[in-house]
Amino acid sequence: MADSDLITRAAAGDPAAFQALVERHRSMVYRVAYQFAGNHFDAEDIAQEVFIKVYRSLDKFRQDAQLSSWMYRIVMNACIDHRRRMLPSGSAPFGEEAEHKMMNTAEERPGPEDHAYAGELGEVLEAEIRRLPPGQRIVFVMRHHQGLKLGEIAEALGLAEGTVKRQLHAAVHRLRDALNTANVTAGERA
Amino acid sequence: MRCEVQTGGTIELYFYGELPLAERAAVQSHLAGCAECRQALEDLSVIRAALARRPDVATPPGGDWSGFMRRLDATIAAEPRRDGPADAARQRTFIAPARPRLAPYLAIAATLAVITFGVLAVLRRPPDVKTTVRNVSETAPTAAAAPGPSVQPAVLTTSPDPGLIAVSGRHFERSKLVVLGLTTKTGRQDDWAYERELATDLLSDTRLYRLAAEERGMRSLADTMGDLELVLLQASMSDQPTEASLQQLQRLIRRRDLLAKMDAY
Repeated sequence: MADSDLITRAAAGDPAAFQALVERHRSMVYRVAYQFAGNHFDAEDIAQEVFIKVYRSLDKFRQDAQLSSWMYRIVMNACIDHRRRMLPSGSAPFGEEAEHKMMNTAEERPGPEDHAYAGELGEVLEAEIRRLPPGQRIVFVMRHHQGLKLGEIAEALGLAEGTVKRQLHAAVHRLRDALNTANVTAGERA
Repeated sequence: MRCEVQTGGTIELYFYGELPLAERAAVQSHLAGCAECRQALEDLSVIRAALARRPDVATPPGGDWSGFMRRLDATIAAEPRRDGPADAARQRTFIAPARPRLAPYLAIAATLAVITFGVLAVLRRPPDVKTTVRNVSETAPTAAAAPGPSVQPAVLTTSPDPGLIAVSGRHFERSKLVVLGLTTKTGRQDDWAYERELATDLLSDTRLYRLAAEERGMRSLADTMGDLELVLLQASMSDQPTEASLQQLQRLIRRRDLLAKMDAY
């Protein structure tokens, strides 16, 4: 059965249709959530939040829209909401400026130099991805891990393509810096 | 001065195949004379290759969705009722839809059964870690999590979840880096910074595994995870690590016999 049919039936109150929808998309959602959060505990919270939002928004889904775009937007919002909840109490952002700052502020976690000697290059990069500001992180995950084109990401996130391009560039720039900082650049590993 | 193809982000678009044909050809000829852009491309290839080797995590630990689905089901059940025409005849929960009102009572009965059986098992066994790990009655995930037309009691079997045991074993291997590290340190300041950092990384997964083990009634595994969680929590919370706080952690590890318990997996 097509996704759009499942959504119609789920919106009409058919629990089996909603279950089928969840089972069909839960791996994609969990994968993005894990890549964003870096651990199972937070990934599960994010994925739960996504499907609850999907359930609440079944009536709002436009049949002519792409389900994947709709779902990605919900995933991204859930990731950002999760990040917002992780902020210390009293420091929740209010207003556009604070929101922009939160989206573009790097996580305070151990840097690549701290991880480098732990061994694998992939671990160094994953740690650095988790330190990226949420906006850069979600764009990088969607482009690099999910293989979405910039135009698709822009559509899914409701952003201008130029903004997505800048976020990707900034993310890649930081990851390349991490490689250099960790002294594990391509040349040294070859 | 840095190359504009790189600072403008064009090199990433080239790498990801996002450039129109004409621009792509232009970048290709540019690459022949620009070492900076060639290095950028090589870095991107290294990043792609390194990330491709990382495990693809698309499921909860052990590939077990039952806990996830149960939790989602419970939340959805608490949502306001949908006004669809089929609603009157259907349940809102999508897991175990046949007799949902019995589910809480069955869960309580099952929990009581697990506690009773667990207490009996402990009273009848010597505190041998390896024996306890393998023999204490452990339950399978609740049958109510599986999609299907009927409800089954949450606890019916006594077999442990092999998937959870396998991932727990791997988690203990990783965690030993911290525990062994802590037990061998002498307490000089910053000497155990790496262990504290790793403890922070491992803490949330430890908690998740403990909850999963508790949920399945795998008591000895849950206890070991709980002990590990306590050690990791105290290690990661030590903002100003002192010799005293390290010694306290070392005593905790010894008192709980944590390494031996982890070795059992």
